[in-house]
Amino acid sequence: MGDKKLFKRTLIGAAFATGLTVAGTAGALDWLRLQGTEPAGASAPVKVWGFIQANYQKDYGSANATGQYVPAKLLGPNLNAQGGFNLLHVQVGVRGTGFPLDEHINYFMLLEAGNAATNRSSGGSNGAVVTDASVTLNYIKGARIRVGLFKYPGSEEGLQSLTKMDYVNFTEGANFLLLERFPNAAYTPNVGPFTQTQLQNGSNINAFTGTAGGFRDTGVQVFDSFDLGKDWNLSYAAMLGNGSGIQFDNVDGQYDQYLYLSAEKNLASTGPANGLKFFVWNQSGQRLADVTNDAVANRILYQRDRSGLGVKYMAKPYRVTFEYITADGMIFEGPDKPSYYFANPANATGTNNGANAKANAWYLDGGWYIPNTKWELDARYDTMDANTGRNDEHTFGKWTLGTQYNINPMSKVTANYEIRQYNCTASTAQCTNANGNLKGVGNKFSVQVTAAF
Amino acid sequence: MLTNFRSMFFFIFAFVGMATAAPVVSAAETSLADYQYVLHISDMDPSKQELILNNASNLLDAYPPGAVEIEIVAYGPGLRLMFANNVHAQRIDSLSQSGVKFSACGNTLNAMTKQLGYEPKLNPDAKVVPGGIVRIGELVKQGYIYVKP
Repeated sequence: MGDKKLFKRTLIGAAFATGLTVAGTAGALDWLRLQGTEPAGASAPVKVWGFIQANYQKDYGSANATGQYVPAKLLGPNLNAQGGFNLLHVQVGVRGTGFPLDEHINYFMLLEAGNAATNRSSGGSNGAVVTDASVTLNYIKGARIRVGLFKYPGSEEGLQSLTKMDYVNFTEGANFLLLERFPNAAYTPNVGPFTQTQLQNGSNINAFTGTAGGFRDTGVQVFDSFDLGKDWNLSYAAMLGNGSGIQFDNVDGQYDQYLYLSAEKNLASTGPANGLKFFVWNQSGQRLADVTNDAVANRILYQRDRSGLGVKYMAKPYRVTFEYITADGMIFEGPDKPSYYFANPANATGTNNGANAKANAWYLDGGWYIPNTKWELDARYDTMDANTGRNDEHTFGKWTLGTQYNINPMSKVTANYEIRQYNCTASTAQCTNANGNLKGVGNKFSVQVTAAF
Repeated sequence: MLTNFRSMFFFIFAFVGMATAAPVVSAAETSLADYQYVLHISDMDPSKQELILNNASNLLDAYPPGAVEIEIVAYGPGLRLMFANNVHAQRIDSLSQSGVKFSACGNTLNAMTKQLGYEPKLNPDAKVVPGGIVRIGELVKQGYIYVKP
């Protein structure tokens, strides 16, 4: 609590520090400015942009002793096969300054029409959805205001553009703790695991009625960057949102609070995308969840907090990123457990319930851009410990080895090989059952083409 | 739709720049430079801003110091290049210190002031000339090489 207060004071102090000059240009890693503003005096009324990401993935996980498959061995978002092609993202958007003489107002819109977690739920539908629609008002120096639906200020992995991702899949921490799945209105029993025959018949393990949050929220954000001198910028953001991802509702009547602070040294003189950034963030909100296995819709308000800090260094030919994340409440237990339960449906409340569990995660990523070539080598280790201290505590660890071939600045091919180690670490009956499934989680190969315009 | 908007925007400011400019016959400007270039920007397209600044930089690099004189003239939507808060302001200042002149069309400025309800603040390195199109004519008459990237 004390840390939280200190963080808030620091943020407010930074935002209103009178001695700071508003930064003229956005740094290469300043996602707040890059996504929320347009270049002053040089923006188009309408700039059409977007990208396509098509991939092939093969999961080498094996069935459990009774021939069944759990979601970790299946490819998302469909979760009904171990290998196949996917059109993961088809995003098209427009952004700009509607009346180019007046730089005070910018807008940003984006549609998702691929087959991704943000536009697919248990219904199986994946029509186009609006993932971003925001207006930025640049009237107050040091306090730009962005309203609408957009990426909330938070982890580096979620905030960065998907076209800038160096890997095909997210870390376990980002996938489980940050890429939020929302509880169904009524208790939904566990589903699966399914047998191969059932999967071939089109079984759908996803039992969430809503789509994933996509690191986004609807609300209002105050933000800006300040020039600290010697190429250092200080950025801050404070946001209030519904806490409902890309769905426009606020059914719990509560608002999520987001805070973000970063200090970035612009290394553009050594390369256009170069920079060194230290960042810290926090989000706090509540969620309604029905975790009792009965026919009564008796939802309880649970606290959901996430915090993180990290550093990103990008100075070609090297890249290093580290981020540490903590999570308290609403720990996602997997797509076959829509009521946040991990092992035993008869005991869905209490210690086995992810709705009031804790978790933490971290990752270390390194990249080497092979000089005088278009090739890049990447390696990342990430790990997540979920339900910490509970009798179903589990650890998911993953090495991702990869290479990227940058065809041109807007197009690339990414190939990854994931070495995964999933374990339920507590010595309890719940873990015996869970490990029966988790020990068969295998490695995964993926190759993806990204083309942006 | 977009094309229409751009065309209308461009037409209004270009027309104002051309039709209402009072021809100003300045005294012959003497120069010891071997080459003189007038670079013209009147486009809405933001990429043209970077292009014209690159042109100026490349010309400076191509000739020995003092051998080339460059003036960038902006009118219509292109005047945004010379707005005080333009993202290229630092680069404009650097080019200005290297001798590149920046001329902002007064007619366009007046028209923009009417639309906005206030006068846009210009880069201090920009000098307001009565009419951008007129200024280009004067420079061409003096022997400047005209370039519109």
